Amino acid sequence: MNIHSAAHPWPTAPLREAVAVDPIVLQIVEGTLNSIETEIEYAIERTARSPMIREAHDFRVGLFDRYCRKLTGRSYSAMPNAVVRDFPPETMKPGDVFLMNDTYLTEGSIGHLPDLCSTVPVFHDGEVVAYIQAFGHHDDVGGRVPGSMPGSAATVFEEGIAIPPVKIYCEGVRNEAVFTIVRRNTRVPEMLSADLDSEIQACLMGARRMCGLFERFGREQVEACFQAILEKCRDIYRNELLAKIADGEYAWEDYVEHDGITDPKLHKIALKMTKKGGKITLDFNGTDPQSTGPINWPADYADGAFLIKWIAPILRNLADTPERAAEIHVNEGVCDVFDVIFPPKGTLITPEWPAATNARSFVLLRCLGLLAGVVAQAVDGRMPADQETIRYTGFFGTDLDGKPFLSREVLGGGSGGRYYADGNDAIHIVPDSRNQPAEFTETRFPLLVEKLALRTDSGGAGLRRGGQGYEKHYRALVDCRTIVTADRVRLGCYGLNGGKAGQPFCVTVDAEGEGYDLGGLVDGEPVLKGQVVRVVTTGGGGWGDPLQRELELVLRDVIEGRVSLASAEKDYGVVLKEGDGAGRPVIDEVVTRDLRAEMTKARSAPLPMIDRGEGYEKMLRGEHRPRIR
Amino acid sequence: MSGQPAAARLRIGIDTGGTFTDIVSVDIVSGATQVTKVASTPANPAIGLLRGVKEILASAGAATDHVAGLAHGTTVATNALLQGEINSLGLIVNTGFRHILEIARQSVPEGYGNSYFWVKPDRIVPLQFIREAGGRLDFRGLELRPLDEASVHEAARYFRARSIRAIGICLLHSYANDAHERRAAEIVAQEYPEATLSLSCVVLPEYREYERAVTTLVDAFVKPHMERYLNRVHQELGSGLQDKPFLVMQSSGGVASADQVVRKPITTALSGPAAGALGSAVIAEIAGFPDLVTLDAGGTSTDLCLIEGGKPQVTNGGSIGPFPVRIPMIDIETIGTGGGSIVWISREGHLKVGPRSAGAEPGPMCYPNGGSEPTITDANLVLGRIPPALIGGGIALDVERARGGIAALAAKLPGDMGIEQLASGIIEIANWNQANAIRQMTIQRGIDPRAFALLSFGGAGPAQSAAVMDLLAMKACIVPPNPGNLSAFGLLAVDWRTDHIVTKVMHEETIDLSEIAARYAALEREAVATLERDGIDASRIRLVREADVRYAGQSMEVRVTASGGAFDETFLTGLIGAFNAAHLRTFGYNYAGEQKIELVNLCVSGFGLIERPQLPKPAIRFDRPEPKGKRAVYFGGFQDTPVFDRAALPPGGRVNGPAIEMSR
Repeated sequence: MNIHSAAHPWPTAPLREAVAVDPIVLQIVEGTLNSIETEIEYAIERTARSPMIREAHDFRVGLFDRYCRKLTGRSYSAMPNAVVRDFPPETMKPGDVFLMNDTYLTEGSIGHLPDLCSTVPVFHDGEVVAYIQAFGHHDDVGGRVPGSMPGSAATVFEEGIAIPPVKIYCEGVRNEAVFTIVRRNTRVPEMLSADLDSEIQACLMGARRMCGLFERFGREQVEACFQAILEKCRDIYRNELLAKIADGEYAWEDYVEHDGITDPKLHKIALKMTKKGGKITLDFNGTDPQSTGPINWPADYADGAFLIKWIAPILRNLADTPERAAEIHVNEGVCDVFDVIFPPKGTLITPEWPAATNARSFVLLRCLGLLAGVVAQAVDGRMPADQETIRYTGFFGTDLDGKPFLSREVLGGGSGGRYYADGNDAIHIVPDSRNQPAEFTETRFPLLVEKLALRTDSGGAGLRRGGQGYEKHYRALVDCRTIVTADRVRLGCYGLNGGKAGQPFCVTVDAEGEGYDLGGLVDGEPVLKGQVVRVVTTGGGGWGDPLQRELELVLRDVIEGRVSLASAEKDYGVVLKEGDGAGRPVIDEVVTRDLRAEMTKARSAPLPMIDRGEGYEKMLRGEHRPRIR
Repeated sequence: MSGQPAAARLRIGIDTGGTFTDIVSVDIVSGATQVTKVASTPANPAIGLLRGVKEILASAGAATDHVAGLAHGTTVATNALLQGEINSLGLIVNTGFRHILEIARQSVPEGYGNSYFWVKPDRIVPLQFIREAGGRLDFRGLELRPLDEASVHEAARYFRARSIRAIGICLLHSYANDAHERRAAEIVAQEYPEATLSLSCVVLPEYREYERAVTTLVDAFVKPHMERYLNRVHQELGSGLQDKPFLVMQSSGGVASADQVVRKPITTALSGPAAGALGSAVIAEIAGFPDLVTLDAGGTSTDLCLIEGGKPQVTNGGSIGPFPVRIPMIDIETIGTGGGSIVWISREGHLKVGPRSAGAEPGPMCYPNGGSEPTITDANLVLGRIPPALIGGGIALDVERARGGIAALAAKLPGDMGIEQLASGIIEIANWNQANAIRQMTIQRGIDPRAFALLSFGGAGPAQSAAVMDLLAMKACIVPPNPGNLSAFGLLAVDWRTDHIVTKVMHEETIDLSEIAARYAALEREAVATLERDGIDASRIRLVREADVRYAGQSMEVRVTASGGAFDETFLTGLIGAFNAAHLRTFGYNYAGEQKIELVNLCVSGFGLIERPQLPKPAIRFDRPEPKGKRAVYFGGFQDTPVFDRAALPPGGRVNGPAIEMSR
């Protein structure tokens, strides 16, 4: 798509020559836009009530110009296009606020129904000059199950209330009809309406701040700055990042393993990337049909503007240094660099209403790794290997005092190896989202945390090893049930440039007894009092040839228990022996040298660019592992 | 304090910074103050400290006999942490929890997608120096499995064989029952008597094992440094001074004796900035603006602190460098711009101010042997906003070099910008950056900056702060007298303080008042004993009960003050009322009457009240001050601008701007 493209039911920016901007005003405007975004976030963080917003930090703020172009770029956000489509700006009045969450009527900007989104127009001299927007993941918007994320939903009607863009405030007066309907359609009316208040008030504050910028510097100057900020992002992508990708066509595919209803199966997302000069075309033709279960992602709207802004940031890994990568903010300017070709309606990323979407995050997350994998082929593998750091596990039942309890936790995983560093151990992709201290879990729930550790050998082997996932053991103190929502249960996170795939996720019930493994979508497997449930999470993919890994790093990994002796030998060709008598092993250099030479010689083909691991082969052979038991 | 000779009337505050050591003395009887400044001696800060004390005694015409006490703010703990090679630290945890530091809270720093290119920094203790001990308690403190003493013996021997001398012990639920930790400590001490130990049940008896472990380790790490330093100070002070009360500033904004500090040195981790905030609070009261934002702009960074009702805000946790620590500390926000912030052109051709800084070395371009890139200070100099020589020292600043640097930048920017035009643009960007930072800080804490005044000090603050005040529509901008000595002055205006906490989670419906009473009584005994060890008379001891409370089901607590009275039903209703009110103030809403609460931590702060120095209040005379000269200063064009000497300004005098006011 093009930031100047026409033929949309919202205003498009006029094509114009690069305008001269005052470099001082530009800095002030850019710094203040970032500050306004942060101020709105702080205000929401402080006053919202849903735990998903307060504690898991699952909410996003966006600032947009009059053409719905996103101006800030610390994170992704929704888009105001659908509001402007239904309410032309010339009809908007100061004090109007809009609300929406309908996944099929929000131009691709809202992926699942719990993300209610508020939009506030900014006025200057009587006309709309910008938009401020915030959405949060609210705890409940109705539907079949508490939390509004039924893992086996087949239609949106099971997922909760769907709201197309509507006016929730009209010139400062609340539209009580809308409010009443929303409140009647949630299990937590007080919390939900308080969350909406929090988001709306924060956006209104942001709108006043934005208005102040226009008053201080005038519309012409501020808009020239907006344009320069968008062009800066576009130019960094073109000149700095795309310049590292050789022109050509590159294709790859990745998979989601299950949709909650049909048997485990590889749901394919296909991508062909064509890079030519300063442009990249992403063609998703070949993607599998939409699923019966709720993993569908309605992305084919607004020329893929949301999808582009979601996956394009992965290209920042091409920056010269990780520090430089962290400096690059991705705003609407990036849409000038990418074109998206969607398959016809009816696929995983072009689903047709009323297909369910609440677990679309599986597809969303796979798309990041999909683009990374495609780009890796174009840049000699200088991209990070794969990672999966989001999944939900938990327990519910009746506690020792006879009260119902529900414990839910997001356990991260290891991140992928990179050409400059090993992957990180046990992290979660959402900044500031935290795990539960064992002392908190044990105080609140009838559970005993027997082990909280890194999972040995879980990170894929490589010159730069994948990060380790978790190994967490819970002992149930009452009979209860366990719940799981996870992808990458059969396929490991892929390794890159000769690196090996990491270990997949697995939950084992009765780990100290007979021990049986669960699948990735489990609604309430019984756990008996005294049994241990072991959760092991994904390791990141490895990067580069493990036989090239520095010996002292392998030795350190073994001493620290990250890599077992067996894996050191089998994956890295490193043999250790008794050391100095202080109980510390040392490398047997002679044996190691010979073993590495032998292993290198035994290779029949060059190492693959991407290693999907054993699970993939098994699924292809039909030996996929459904629930055991 | 008791037993002071009548002649002992000087209290001396010494604030040791990286470059200078500031000293203030106050005569408790007359209120007369003296200030001075000596070069710091980083290799052995005790030398600079003593030199400063001698100098101030000389200028006050006093002898060591006249000294009533010394109060000290030090960065020894912070510097040890930030600069020290942490290579001799070990940790003992429960079996199964060896990776506690590696896992931490699984969070990545802010910035979407950072997890792809973020590189997790090394942990404070490498994995091989973390040993596991068998045995387990539950959250009530009941023993599930006895301590496996053999595993502790083995760990101690392991540390001894590798000369790991500072050891932290952090076992699960030790806040509920310290028996396993205490027994483990005995075993380690027996196997390895030279080791320095910190126990989590002593340092921070509060739930959340990761934060408690790191806090305990930081304490263990700074302990030997602090001990060595305070011994040196004791020696340097010599016979005349070493018996005088010697107090050390804590991050919480209270002082404690050197003896107390050595037991739990982590409490001093952010001693220096805390003193500055307290000095500001005193000035705020005198100036009649009890609500303020303080802005301390140095060469590389700027510290912001909120003072409400004359009291600096205290938070229960923060971080020192990369280490999260859970101790009470004055809530200070640091932003990365200061006078030395470098002005540069980015790869995209955009003008940028900071966050890189020329610091003190090489310093701004205009400094002797200064750097090669222009800074905010250079822009101020070009505009005539700061004088062409460093005050006092008479070191000339190189205006032409600064102009050259800015001219070179202007040539690389589009348009035809003049040197002064660019310089004033640089200052404007810096002002907006500061204003935005203040906005973020106040919004995060639910405060409207327009109801506050701005108190500005530090080498790089006051010249710009009037403009920042305007941008935020704040009430006033205050520049304190002797701003360089604000921290040293703050040291003399604080009470003794000791903080004690224990975790005891109790749901509203199952609260046992006698249990609460017993726990508070124990905490109060600890606090009183600590203060009495410092020789504080019982009549000067004040105890404040607080509690961390949350709505049942939440994981975020709010700290509120509890009644000091009897433990009856009104105690509980008062506490719940205070919590609902605090929740409303902090988050903008509460669930009063709708949701049950949960008590989480009980806390007692003990204060030993000091005699506050009474500053003589000058009589207001509405004179029209006379400028001591004029200087060309740029305000959209150079104007002949009057220059006033701060010392010669009459109290209550008025000047219409633009004008320059010079002070030390």
